[in-house]
Amino acid sequence: MSNHTPHPSSYRDPSGFIFEKDGSLYRQVNKVFKDDFDLFIASGCYENLVKKGWLIPHDRVIENFTGDKEWYTTLQPETIPFISYPYEWSFDVLKDAALLTLGILRTSLESGMILKDASPYNIQWYKGKLIFIDSLSFEKYDETEPWIAYRQFCEHFLSPLLLSYYAKSSLQELLLAYSDGIPLQIASSLLPWKTRFSMHIYLHIHLHAKYSAKDPGPTTQKTVFSKKKLLNLVTSLELLIKKLNPGENKTTWSGYYDEAAGRGDYLAHKQLIISQWLDKVKPSTVADHGANKGEFSKLAAAKNIPVIACDFDAVCINGLYREIKRSGEKNILPLIMDITRPSPAIGVNNKERASFMERTNTDMAFALALIHHLVIGKNIPFDKIAVFFQTVCRYLIIEFVPKEDEKVAYMLNQKKDIYPHYTEQYFETVFSNYFSIEAKEKISGSGRTIYLLKKNER
Amino acid sequence: MLEHLLYIDPGSGSYLVQVIAAAVLGIAFFFRNIRNYIRSFFTRTPKKPNDNPPA
Repeated sequence: MSNHTPHPSSYRDPSGFIFEKDGSLYRQVNKVFKDDFDLFIASGCYENLVKKGWLIPHDRVIENFTGDKEWYTTLQPETIPFISYPYEWSFDVLKDAALLTLGILRTSLESGMILKDASPYNIQWYKGKLIFIDSLSFEKYDETEPWIAYRQFCEHFLSPLLLSYYAKSSLQELLLAYSDGIPLQIASSLLPWKTRFSMHIYLHIHLHAKYSAKDPGPTTQKTVFSKKKLLNLVTSLELLIKKLNPGENKTTWSGYYDEAAGRGDYLAHKQLIISQWLDKVKPSTVADHGANKGEFSKLAAAKNIPVIACDFDAVCINGLYREIKRSGEKNILPLIMDITRPSPAIGVNNKERASFMERTNTDMAFALALIHHLVIGKNIPFDKIAVFFQTVCRYLIIEFVPKEDEKVAYMLNQKKDIYPHYTEQYFETVFSNYFSIEAKEKISGSGRTIYLLKKNER
Repeated sequence: MLEHLLYIDPGSGSYLVQVIAAAVLGIAFFFRNIRNYIRSFFTRTPKKPNDNPPA
């Protein structure tokens, strides 16, 4: 009778869990959480948060799909089309997720509720912005109690933001290693000494690390807290996080389009071809691999197609996120993703957070001006690249950059040419094992060829 | 009955540090408010804190 599958990441909280049934996701609320959940709705907290667009709306389904004795009610939240994880987000995304969490905490306090969980995994990308997805993270507020999720917030948000800010480098990969947040002691020891002179950083990281490392002993005194004190804490965190504004650093790739724009009508012709193919195939979703600043992602987004823009260059992706925020673009999700080592599956039984390839199955993928970096830059054979794309998409628009191209010639100047098979003909032969060539065109202003490929149905 | 609270380990250290941090911040914000008040007295457009998270 209970033909449901509990979601592998939803096991921590006894208040309820996520499960799948007949292709839809539901959230069960357990009896143990009945009072808090009822108050969450009755206090207007849910309504306030949904109205602000900060919490995913849900429908209530009065049916016990799981047959569980603990069942109180079932919720059907709106569906998030693509799940992404903090280790794929750029600095500004994590920063905005932190500020959203604090904003939600403030709003919940106004309704006599408190946020009991401050995990970035509870935040997802939905309709062009960040949204909180766990409607069971709210409980009745007891003014005498401090914030239960304070340490979690500091380890999940503050530690990586501060480390990245002071290292002047993108460190989102640390979140892959420390998926439960970067421990305070580690953050404290890695941060520069001068941060001890910042009151906010000293309190939330250094002092916090010192106290959390101590054994509290058998007797713990009852601490007395107040709402005003909690709000001071939130204000302090907000002031600190808002000040973290890394400049837009230049990287090898950040000036790519400025440079490419100088190559005659190369860009314009490429855009025209892609635009025509998009109109022909009409994909429902696109993933732009090696998106750089998202020039071609925007082309698809303008046709109202949801796009995942992936690039391993964190500066480009952060720049794209800033641009999306400014312009209000709703169709692009910018992610830091290195195609040569996509996010692995992690967590309990390696099932808690799915790998990038398990999550990605777009109608179409772009691989524009990418293949020479993979084959010549990283020594990856055509066959392995073809396998990647046939796993993650149905249609592929891929650009072949020949050896005669100035960029490839430049790369080969610096290393031995061990790539006798890097030819257009061999590229076609290998990719034809997985895809059929629907169309191909020479891009003017370059010796490059662009292909529209369709995955072979097996 | 409070089992559902225990799935996050807040650590007593985190509770204690919140008490200390809140006390320090209480004093700091008290002086900050006085400073802001004096500042707004001399400037026509006082800087309003923007508490809204990004939407």
